[in-house]
Amino acid sequence: MIKTTNLSKHFQNETAIDYRDLVFEDGKSYMLLGASGCGKSTLLNMIAGILSPESGSIEINGEEMSSKSQKEKDKFRINKIGYIFQDFKLIPEMTVIDNINILKLERVDTSAADEVLDSLGILDKKNKKVKHLSGGERQRVAIARAIVKKPDIILADEPTGNLNFAIGEAVIKQLIEISKGKTLIAVTHDERLGKYFDCTIDMNEVTGGRRDV
Amino acid sequence: MFKFAIKNMAIKKVKIVLIVISIVISACVALLAYNISEQVDDGFKSTAAYYDIIIGPAGSSTQLAMNTMFFTDKPLGTISYEYVENLRADMRINAVVPFTMGDSYNGAKIVGTEPVFLEGRALSDGEMFDERFECVLGSAVAKKYGLSLGDELVTSHGLAEGGHAHEQNPLRVVGILKQTNTSYDNVIFTAVETVWATHDHGGEEEHTQEEHEHEEHGEICAILVKTKSFNHYNAVKTEYGADASLLVINPSEVLREVLENVDMSSKIVYILCIIILIMNIFIISVITLLNMYDSKKEISLMRLIGIGMSKINMLYILQNGIIGLISTVLAFAASRLCLILMGEFVASMGIVLNSSKIYPLELAIMALIFTISVIPTVVCTLNMSRKDGLSD
Repeated sequence: MIKTTNLSKHFQNETAIDYRDLVFEDGKSYMLLGASGCGKSTLLNMIAGILSPESGSIEINGEEMSSKSQKEKDKFRINKIGYIFQDFKLIPEMTVIDNINILKLERVDTSAADEVLDSLGILDKKNKKVKHLSGGERQRVAIARAIVKKPDIILADEPTGNLNFAIGEAVIKQLIEISKGKTLIAVTHDERLGKYFDCTIDMNEVTGGRRDV
Repeated sequence: MFKFAIKNMAIKKVKIVLIVISIVISACVALLAYNISEQVDDGFKSTAAYYDIIIGPAGSSTQLAMNTMFFTDKPLGTISYEYVENLRADMRINAVVPFTMGDSYNGAKIVGTEPVFLEGRALSDGEMFDERFECVLGSAVAKKYGLSLGDELVTSHGLAEGGHAHEQNPLRVVGILKQTNTSYDNVIFTAVETVWATHDHGGEEEHTQEEHEHEEHGEICAILVKTKSFNHYNAVKTEYGADASLLVINPSEVLREVLENVDMSSKIVYILCIIILIMNIFIISVITLLNMYDSKKEISLMRLIGIGMSKINMLYILQNGIIGLISTVLAFAASRLCLILMGEFVASMGIVLNSSKIYPLELAIMALIFTISVIPTVVCTLNMSRKDGLSD
């Protein structure tokens, strides 16, 4: 379970976002909806330990995240969280399998790579360079890298943001299917995809947008 | 990690090859500049002046010293062999060695002298010349022309290639000197009588008057003298110095003057070396920093997916370490290749460059080059670790 309490994040442009307390239950899928700048991605980054909140706490399965050092947060993220980025965060010159095997630097077991790629329908692209893949295929590679380590939590920051609706919908379906039994939190602008998730959260209501500090 | 480092380098091969070339060029220049300046200095210092007087025809004292000690330049001219006979009869004198030069073999100078001139220099093969038309080769000459004992050399007139060939009087190789990395490696030694006899043939009309001047019977280019005491040295020097047709020098004094000039040149070269090295440090640091700057996006990506900074640090230190190591090794190899290629040119100045000679400071320069190709990586990644992954 992920629980946020009194979360607040300040930015360099002297704005801040205050979050209402949230609880994400184990094994459920959540879609975070909301206008740009309302703090959806920031929340994901704080849960993942990439950003630190100015105040408040994030508790994941009983572990308090804000008290962890950056090294501990990195270790937690590599072991427990699968993060799918909007811009994929792949090395274009490397092959699909090398982009997954990058996790081996942290001794992550990637032996399920073939199985995951197969379930996403891109096993035949395994040895192709990422730069030669389509947008949908790249997003699938990013999903494969996030789930190959069998994480407890999957965070997806606008996973369909760079894709057209048809491909985006197919990607979300696959993501939901492959994330069964895990906690999935996905940020998206597209309300039409809400039907695939267990729960939809309107982030405009959670934060009320940015405020000046 | 090593496998991933190699793969990560392979995708940037063009950039990495250019980085390696840049480091190799700058490091090679530094190594080469230092090595050559040291070897030139060593070359001068290793030729000890055993003889305290050299007598030759009037002219430049430096030319006389350099010609008889390092076999560089042309002889000043000739003097009569009678001087040798007179000096040998002089009770104040310990040793008298005639010295003549005027012929060559494919550009290698032929020195006419006596076996005592090569005293203290070991033979790697054969024996010292004794009979007429016998010769002993410097090691570099034997190696360069593939000569061995029993081979016959058709020498040519004059010190440059293309002179009149002495086909009727070839020299027979009876000995080869051990390599000393001095000017002795580049010269062929024979008896003075051999030089005279070589020219004692028909066809003299082929020679110009000028060419002929120094090769008549009984003529030599210089005399090396060792006196019995300092008083005798002064007396002999004053006595022969009074003859206006002669030049009498103390080779140690002349060598000291030359070394002072060489020393000044060495200091200039050292200053240049330091400037080159500082430039290299700057260039290599900038290249490495630019390389790291290009990798910022990649590092940010790795951080976002959860790769720890310690692993990222290790990965880039490993990558830049490989680049540094390859560059250092190639720079060393390139500097040795340049030494081999430059050897012939420098040999004409009386210095033999030994491509296998490694000075301790060269190892220090290589260690420095390796270090500065890695240190900016550490600085850069430490700087990145202070920011969050989204900053880059």
